Amino acid sequence: MWYVVIAVIVLLVIFAQFIPFDPNYFMFDQLGVILKKMFTPKGNRTWGDYFAYMWTLRGALLDTMKMSFAGTVIGSVLAVPLAVLSAKNIVKLPVIYIPMRFIMNIFRTIPAMVLAIIAVLFVGTGVLSGIIAITLFSFGIMAKMLYEVIETIDMNPYEALESTGATRMESFRYAALPQILPVYVSYLIYIFEINVRTSAVLGFVGAGGIGAVISDNILYNYDRVGATIILIFFVILFVQFLSNYVRGKLQ
Amino acid sequence: MSRAGEMLKQKPRKWVANLIFFAIIVATVIFCFTGSSINLYRLSTIGTSLRIMFTKMVNLNTDFLLGVGVYQFEEGVIYMALETLAIAFIGTFIGAILAIPFGFLASSTISGKVVSKIGVTILVIIRVFPEIVLALVLVKGFGMNALTGVLTIGLHSIGMLGKLFSEAIDNMDKSPIEALDAVGANRWQKIRFGILPQVAADISSITLYRFDINVRSATILGIVGAGGLGASLIIASYNWDWDTLGTILVAIIVMVMLVDAVSSYLRGKLV
Repeated sequence: MWYVVIAVIVLLVIFAQFIPFDPNYFMFDQLGVILKKMFTPKGNRTWGDYFAYMWTLRGALLDTMKMSFAGTVIGSVLAVPLAVLSAKNIVKLPVIYIPMRFIMNIFRTIPAMVLAIIAVLFVGTGVLSGIIAITLFSFGIMAKMLYEVIETIDMNPYEALESTGATRMESFRYAALPQILPVYVSYLIYIFEINVRTSAVLGFVGAGGIGAVISDNILYNYDRVGATIILIFFVILFVQFLSNYVRGKLQ
Repeated sequence: MSRAGEMLKQKPRKWVANLIFFAIIVATVIFCFTGSSINLYRLSTIGTSLRIMFTKMVNLNTDFLLGVGVYQFEEGVIYMALETLAIAFIGTFIGAILAIPFGFLASSTISGKVVSKIGVTILVIIRVFPEIVLALVLVKGFGMNALTGVLTIGLHSIGMLGKLFSEAIDNMDKSPIEALDAVGANRWQKIRFGILPQVAADISSITLYRFDINVRSATILGIVGAGGLGASLIIASYNWDWDTLGTILVAIIVMVMLVDAVSSYLRGKLV
């Protein structure tokens, strides 16, 4: 037990060399100033304007939802063949499932924000780059989660069907799919929830949606940034609540 | 086949409902692409762009990778990757320490139904607040450096860690606590001798898992100036600097895969 504690302490000491720590440069008053600027109306704007501004954001919010929905659906559909080909119990050839898992892992390691940066370079700023980033991001997560499910299904019905002379596709359709489908739907909703959270901030790098509103206003209109943050907060909270509720009903 | 085929035909026909359901999904996905600024010129050149990107990305900028030649070591990818790991590691450590009291607060076994509701609510609020927005606020108080990244990750991690810790505490075996109650131990003694020995393995495993996630977050926090690889990444993208971008991307993939492997190995040992 003690060597774990010592290892953690040694790593903390080494890594601490990378972190600058100088209390002389801390500006706690600035922290207060920015929070006040964010959560009170600016200049001669009133609280009415503050909340009216939230209503003007409905288009941006719809864009975020579009990115999340299209990305979740397309990414999750594309993930199905990859997940099946990565499952050891369905595809029994290591030559196939090992490279497939490698592809999946590459997509999974790249953060969505980085995918968005690259997508913006390709198709320009806007919702399309967000859809591409969310699609690739969902593809990675769904493939990983799904192949783990496929590997843990009960294989007896599958083998029984194969022994009656059913083809591999037929056995998969009638013995494996009924076991996988409910979990797949539940994961679909869960990934949508993650994607709403992710796509809300993708606008920081130009991928459209509500995050773009924050980066547009960050220099001069802190009150609008604050209003947007409040809106994002409640939307994420609502989607999370909805997702938990629906997934609870599914089980 | 014939018998099984007849049986299958007798199944209720759900295909009409299924078809309508799929049509709705497909229509919604198509609707999502409306107004998404599809640039036909860009799309027609996408093959060329992809080729340029891959040929340049494969040509890694080794000077930049190692921090030699025209680059200072502190400007190299290796240094920045280590800085990213440092942000994630120290941030996770701080988050885990801060999350322990929140975990106890949110567990109904320890603090009772009413207080645990308050704890759970605080944790939800922390969890839902986007990490990068938190970094944006903290940058004003602590400057554009790695310390801001550490604090962001530390504060944001409390949300998930606290929730999972409280679940670990609620799921443990209650009999040692009852035994301690019987001998008249106070609250702190119960936590120290009845709870901590039971949940230590769970807490370490959850923290390792969160470290995994935080390494990914730490790579992007640099976009708002909170240290790590993100700042160079966004600057390279503004300059269409594909070889630099490729070098950073490779560093991210290797780093995250390594951390993933180490973390799942250690978690396997713990369980």
